[in-house]
Amino acid sequence: MDVWFVISNTIVLACIYGTLAIGVSITWSSLGFLNLAYGFIFAFSGYGAWLFAQHVSTFGPAVLACGILSGALGGVFVCALAFIPIHDKPNFTIRGLIATLAINLIGTQSLLWWFGPRSKNLPEIFGTWKLSFSGVTLTADRVGNVITSVLMLLLVLRWMRSSRRGLEIRAMMMNPHAASIVGIGVRRTSFYVMAITGALAGLAAVLLSQTYYISPFGGLTPMIKAVSIALCGGLGSVQGAVIAAVVLGLNEALTTVSIGGRYVLITQFLMIILILLVRPRGIAGILDRAREA
Amino acid sequence: MNIIQQDLSQAAHAPLQRREMLKLSGLSAGYGPMRVIHDLDLIVSSGERIGIVGLNGHGKSTLFYAIAGLTGWQRGSIKLNGLEIGRTRSQGPGRYTHQIVRAGLALIPQGDEIFHGLTVEEHLDSGAFTPRSWRERQERKERILQIFPPLKKLMAVPVGRLSGGERRMVSIGRGLMGEASLFLVDEPSLGLAPKIGKNVIDALMALDLGSSAMVIAEQNVSLLEGRVDRILGMHVGKLKGEASAALMLHDHGRA
Amino acid sequence: MTELSSIQRTWRNPLFVWDGSQEAEKLPTPTFVSHQEIWEATRASRAKLLPVGRLRYYHKWAGHGQNLWRRSRYFPTRRRVLRIRGEYNKKSLRREKTIIDKRPIWWVMGLVALALVPLLTPASLENTLLTAGVTFGIYAAINLCWMLVIGTASIFSLATYAIVGTAAFVTAYSSTMFGLPWWLLPPLGALVGVIFGGIIALPATRLDGFYYALLTLGLNELCRVYFVTSREFGSATGGLYGAATYIPQDWSSSGQLQLAYYACFAVMLLALLLYRFVNGRRLGRILRMAPEKREAFAEATGVNFRQARVRVFLISSVGLGFIGGFYSANYGGVAFSIFSFDTVLLGLAMLVIGGIGRSEGAVLGTLIVVFFDKVLITLGPARLIIIGLIMLFVVLYLRNGLFGIKQQFRSWRDKKKSERRSTRAEKGGEMLPEEATEARNVDDLYRRRYDKMQREFLKTLVKPEVIEEHRRAPQGQHSEALERLLIYFRNQPQPDKYAITALQSINGFRIVALSGHRGVAPRVVEDKIYRSPAEAYHGVFLRRVQDLLES
Repeated sequence: MDVWFVISNTIVLACIYGTLAIGVSITWSSLGFLNLAYGFIFAFSGYGAWLFAQHVSTFGPAVLACGILSGALGGVFVCALAFIPIHDKPNFTIRGLIATLAINLIGTQSLLWWFGPRSKNLPEIFGTWKLSFSGVTLTADRVGNVITSVLMLLLVLRWMRSSRRGLEIRAMMMNPHAASIVGIGVRRTSFYVMAITGALAGLAAVLLSQTYYISPFGGLTPMIKAVSIALCGGLGSVQGAVIAAVVLGLNEALTTVSIGGRYVLITQFLMIILILLVRPRGIAGILDRAREA
Repeated sequence: MNIIQQDLSQAAHAPLQRREMLKLSGLSAGYGPMRVIHDLDLIVSSGERIGIVGLNGHGKSTLFYAIAGLTGWQRGSIKLNGLEIGRTRSQGPGRYTHQIVRAGLALIPQGDEIFHGLTVEEHLDSGAFTPRSWRERQERKERILQIFPPLKKLMAVPVGRLSGGERRMVSIGRGLMGEASLFLVDEPSLGLAPKIGKNVIDALMALDLGSSAMVIAEQNVSLLEGRVDRILGMHVGKLKGEASAALMLHDHGRA
Repeated sequence: MTELSSIQRTWRNPLFVWDGSQEAEKLPTPTFVSHQEIWEATRASRAKLLPVGRLRYYHKWAGHGQNLWRRSRYFPTRRRVLRIRGEYNKKSLRREKTIIDKRPIWWVMGLVALALVPLLTPASLENTLLTAGVTFGIYAAINLCWMLVIGTASIFSLATYAIVGTAAFVTAYSSTMFGLPWWLLPPLGALVGVIFGGIIALPATRLDGFYYALLTLGLNELCRVYFVTSREFGSATGGLYGAATYIPQDWSSSGQLQLAYYACFAVMLLALLLYRFVNGRRLGRILRMAPEKREAFAEATGVNFRQARVRVFLISSVGLGFIGGFYSANYGGVAFSIFSFDTVLLGLAMLVIGGIGRSEGAVLGTLIVVFFDKVLITLGPARLIIIGLIMLFVVLYLRNGLFGIKQQFRSWRDKKKSERRSTRAEKGGEMLPEEATEARNVDDLYRRRYDKMQREFLKTLVKPEVIEEHRRAPQGQHSEALERLLIYFRNQPQPDKYAITALQSINGFRIVALSGHRGVAPRVVEDKIYRSPAEAYHGVFLRRVQDLLES
């Protein structure tokens, strides 16, 4: 068993799942909205990138950009359909959750209808070069995956920290009522948030398609992993999600090496349940500096 | 001379050439089947400080929320600086609030409506979301720090860690950051030690209003008495002021 | 004309001749205002008549009150079959009965219709309809148990199908391996269900609703991956088949279908019974006291809602396991599709379309979704899209599914009513039409309307001349306008009526307001101290005038 191979594999997956998990986290904490149409957005942006690669160009960065853009488009679409009509109605959280599930059902079935059940694959985005030192070989897509996802995450986090829109989003994450008093429009900000988280999903979709394929239901597993990582990190906390991604990635690597790949999900959920039993608010419950109101 | 004639003569000599900053006519508002504000009329002129006094649950906060478009439903006209911001609205509380805030309203809400994780500085920035004030936010922050000097040392501290009085200062400072033409201050002294509450009120009184206006809601009349231009009472969703009766008599007298 | 009005503008004191020392002979007085005008204006009001009040139509059954005491009850309980109210008709004074809660009647009608379906289906449709009926029975039973978890216990669990599937797989496995008879499968399933439910109930005690929903979504996926990849459970064949089944193989295919239909119908009835026994009795009551976000309050009143929730969860897990065992006994095995995400979504669609928290919602939602999914099978993948669209529509526009429409409409109407009320608000004491329908004493309505008219009229009399006249002489003979005002003021009820108190110590007078209650002292209205009674009288008069104008 090549330990280095497994570990690098897990780091790659953790990066991608972390990207998705941060998307889930941001949506939940700023809009109070659990976006379970994430699987659909994921598949949608994969198909967007595939269509672009088929009909326009197979130039790697362009395909990547197209995937990100169609992810953002999917996010905006979900926002307009499921968030805008009910965000100020009673029982919003539960209805929003169900609405996104319905969109997921409709969306994936439509993709199945349109593109058929056969999975598609994207061209190699990062080329086919290899990097090897001291016995470890790193293929292009692995290095590319890690670098792109980390870069994108840093970009998004930096933007959230310093720009005016980012301040808006963060203010809404903390206190939506006060945010509207300050003059932040919930509806407009929600479009920004959903576009950004959709773009993160689109990025993850294109990156994952280097390893797996694009299929109508291919978004389900990444979504569930993302959601469980976000859950474990404490919904709404970016640092928590990053830590959880690393922890669960490590767990995945160790399980695969010691017991076997079949038991990955079992150990993962045992771990999540353990963490949540100790800290019901996830890892972020330990990190939180601010005084609870 | 009797009191009604006194009032009559005062009303006749009142300077009416000042601009109307806020004009409510026939405003009703409530939540669901409950009506909290009953057909209320009020005019606030520019440069004026008005106190609204009333007990808990008589609709002071709801009045402010109705002006900001945050109640469940509302009817009647609200004119802010000549601009109609109150429409008949039966759903979507807060849907238009950001537009109203952009039109020049600063609502400083009751209690701690703050963002726990943001630092004091970011918090003050968040008060200046209108494009012009965002550009001038450094100068505006300086001005706030002159009003509330204790905040200077706390600029990098998350607001969630501050004490009640400091939070209130941050909250008021945030309200003062924008270029508002009307300030609505909801119970600035609530939940604070009497001395700190008095300091907060002093800071509000010391503020140079210029052409804007300020309405302060309080339960404690003694904090406002003699320091504001008018004090109106609020009772079960209606305003009861000395001036209103006189104005009505004035109308009847002419009729 | 001018002569007349000039005459009316002065008032001549008739008592002046007798004692003219203090009083003026003539005083200016306002022009005469006829109260007739106000009366006519009110009567001639062309105000639009709006429908007010609420219309709730109940059929009135004839019957003597005596009959009400002979009530039919569900056997071991004291619970009545129908809630019937007996009353006298207000007009005819005849005795009549009203059925308040008609739901039992609807239930019986619906269940009888479902029971009659196999007998009435045409032969060409029998296969499709009865297969759909079998699915409907099983899924309705599952959804009823799920509704207990989501609705009654308010645990947003998405692991229902994981429990059912695990129980079905374990029972099918043990049946194929150890040759268990079919009647052992449901009890074995129940055992599996309670173990599995017990394991996943553990985090439910600590986690909030949505954390738990996400966790269970993952658990469902975990089960799917585990069973799909494990060789014992038939990863090669797409499912596990060959379990014992209760359907005799030597029957005709239509006879087999009918037997399966009635068996599934019976399972659904059992699930309904379970729902009724959990939701309608002590556990359900306890949990209804602790709805979401009010848990702290429930806890403070001594309700151990956590324990109650876990108990409901375990009970429904037993039910779900039982259904899982029945599932494999019914189909002779189970496919992996029971764990698929779409199954969870369809199940959720069933709950949501009917309305969460009601058994009738679960059954009707299942009926609708199964109809689209199994009967209109020719539509292909479009039928799932249609179901998704229905689900989306219901969740976006209905607050609580189809069975919540009535309540949603009522609250919408109440809101609109209140808004309309606010546009029609008049300053004055008259009751608004909506209030009037709710008033106990109708006399009160007329009194207040009359009072309002009277005040309208009196307001027109308040003029500076009148006030000046009162200031000159608070007592004695007055002009007509002033006299009318004073009579109205004096007729006001005792509570909060102004009075004058004489201060012995400093020889002054002060205005007080009477409390209206014997033994409760009047309260002081203002600090001002008047030197003479006349001044105090005038002070009282001014206050009353002010109150009149403000009203």
